[in-house]
Amino acid sequence: MLDEIVRLLDARLIGRTTRLEKRVRMACGSDLMSDVLAFIKADALLLTGLTHVQVVRTAEMADVAVICFVRGKQPAADVVELADSALIPLLVTDLTMYEACGRLYSQGLPGCHEKR
Amino acid sequence: MKKDDSISRLDAVAHTDKCALGKPDSPRFTKSQELVYELTVADAMRRKVITTTPRTLMSELREILRANRISGTPVIDNGRLAGVISIEDFIMWLAAGEPDCPIGDKMTTRIDTLFAHEPLIHAVGKLEETGYGRIPVVDKASGDLVGIITKGDIIERLLRKLEIDFHTEEIHRYRASHIFEDIMGDKVALTFQSAVKGQDFSLAGSASSRLKKTLERLGIDPQIVRRAAIASYEAEMNLVIYTDGGTVTASVQPDRIRIDVNDAGPGIPDIEQAMQPGFSTASEWVREMGFGAGMGLVNIRKCSDRMELVSTVGKGTHLRIHIDIHADKSKG
Amino acid sequence: MKLTRIIERLNLRVCTAEHRLDREVQNGYVSDLLSDVLANCQENDVWITLQVHPNIVAVAAIKGVAAVILVNDRQPQEETLAKARQENLPILVSSLSAFDLAGKLYAILNEPSGAQ
Repeated sequence: MLDEIVRLLDARLIGRTTRLEKRVRMACGSDLMSDVLAFIKADALLLTGLTHVQVVRTAEMADVAVICFVRGKQPAADVVELADSALIPLLVTDLTMYEACGRLYSQGLPGCHEKR
Repeated sequence: MKKDDSISRLDAVAHTDKCALGKPDSPRFTKSQELVYELTVADAMRRKVITTTPRTLMSELREILRANRISGTPVIDNGRLAGVISIEDFIMWLAAGEPDCPIGDKMTTRIDTLFAHEPLIHAVGKLEETGYGRIPVVDKASGDLVGIITKGDIIERLLRKLEIDFHTEEIHRYRASHIFEDIMGDKVALTFQSAVKGQDFSLAGSASSRLKKTLERLGIDPQIVRRAAIASYEAEMNLVIYTDGGTVTASVQPDRIRIDVNDAGPGIPDIEQAMQPGFSTASEWVREMGFGAGMGLVNIRKCSDRMELVSTVGKGTHLRIHIDIHADKSKG
Repeated sequence: MKLTRIIERLNLRVCTAEHRLDREVQNGYVSDLLSDVLANCQENDVWITLQVHPNIVAVAAIKGVAAVILVNDRQPQEETLAKARQENLPILVSSLSAFDLAGKLYAILNEPSGAQ
């Protein structure tokens, strides 16, 4: 499933984790970590433009399966290192968040819904 | 290691009356003291020893100790006694949140041993002086492991020899495996605390990350671990964003997790307001970091079964999070 | 596509500037980071975000966006609504997540023109 995502988003893999054991079930696009924590379910793809360490911490806490940075944002080395030790694959795409969401949605990947 | 009364009497003999070795008929000795000279290590030791290898993983150690109700094992490498690994080693590895590793990395390699034919008094002395819970017994000629001995074994043997009726509880108090059961049972809580540095975004989240790893290793249900981790993380971020730092203390019992977050920071003037989704006093730079959207406390409440928040402006804030663990959901 | 049509097709709730909904929209922009919106958002985009505080109005006005869409049923703050009315900025609300909303918007904006 990781290769599909990489292909769909014209993304590149950075960091040392290149395989994904679990299936990605849904996607979430956000730059606000608290909201990610409120709504994201486990095994999701997190799309974000935020590139600092807390993104990886958030992903770790919430069992995010893979992080994709949009708008061509490259995270710093300490971010990549933390993701490596947490075994979370990191992708970078030059697409905007809007375009990335659009493409993934059109391929049938669902979003994270808050239970009401 | 806690001293208990019968052992104190015995080691008073061992330490102060070393010259009395071989003279057990002096009127000062009690019957049990006599016996300790009379009996050998071989009389009291356990011959069926549970062992591990240096390649066994720390994560597997938990189940081995639990299933066999022991507090440690000798580590055997190719038939040779290579070290000893104890529950204390396990707990320290757990609390430090280190990655899984072979026992070989964590075991004690400078091993004290006893010979089978030695007088039991030597075992008493050695257990007291080293403070270890168990000492491997080896054959003098070959160096092979022939047994293992603990304080409990000594007492059990003495009492049996004395034909005293004992309460099962008395014996059980000195069985080291009870320490493990106390921790995982309902008597003692496993507690660990982390300090959180205020305003330091690069470190923020590390306390919660350690907590999460520890809870996972304790075999707690992943959904519960997730809730605890998220609640802790949001609380930790609040400490970093709004205060000069504080502490996150987690207390784990088999039926519940409690997380206390304390700071001496500015305090929250209106708690009800602070609990509303979207309400935030964060400055713009915090929002640019992806926080400050006013969802932190809301998230914490969502993740917890009960939550208490007390705050005094100018003094500080105390947040207590309760998460219930339902019986028997922990993974083996 | 006209904003009014988008509102209809995406089931958006209108909070402010009901009289300013006839703009033509080409694209969407998804971001919660003000600095990023200031740098990259285009005039006449619809800006999709979770942020509900008053600063979004200033940024939206500066960039000349057609409307701001708040996702996950987020309620804008009172001050935000007041400022938006002052600026004649439409604030719309969707109950979908950012990912789903962006996905749907992307799909309808990229439909072949006949289907609008």
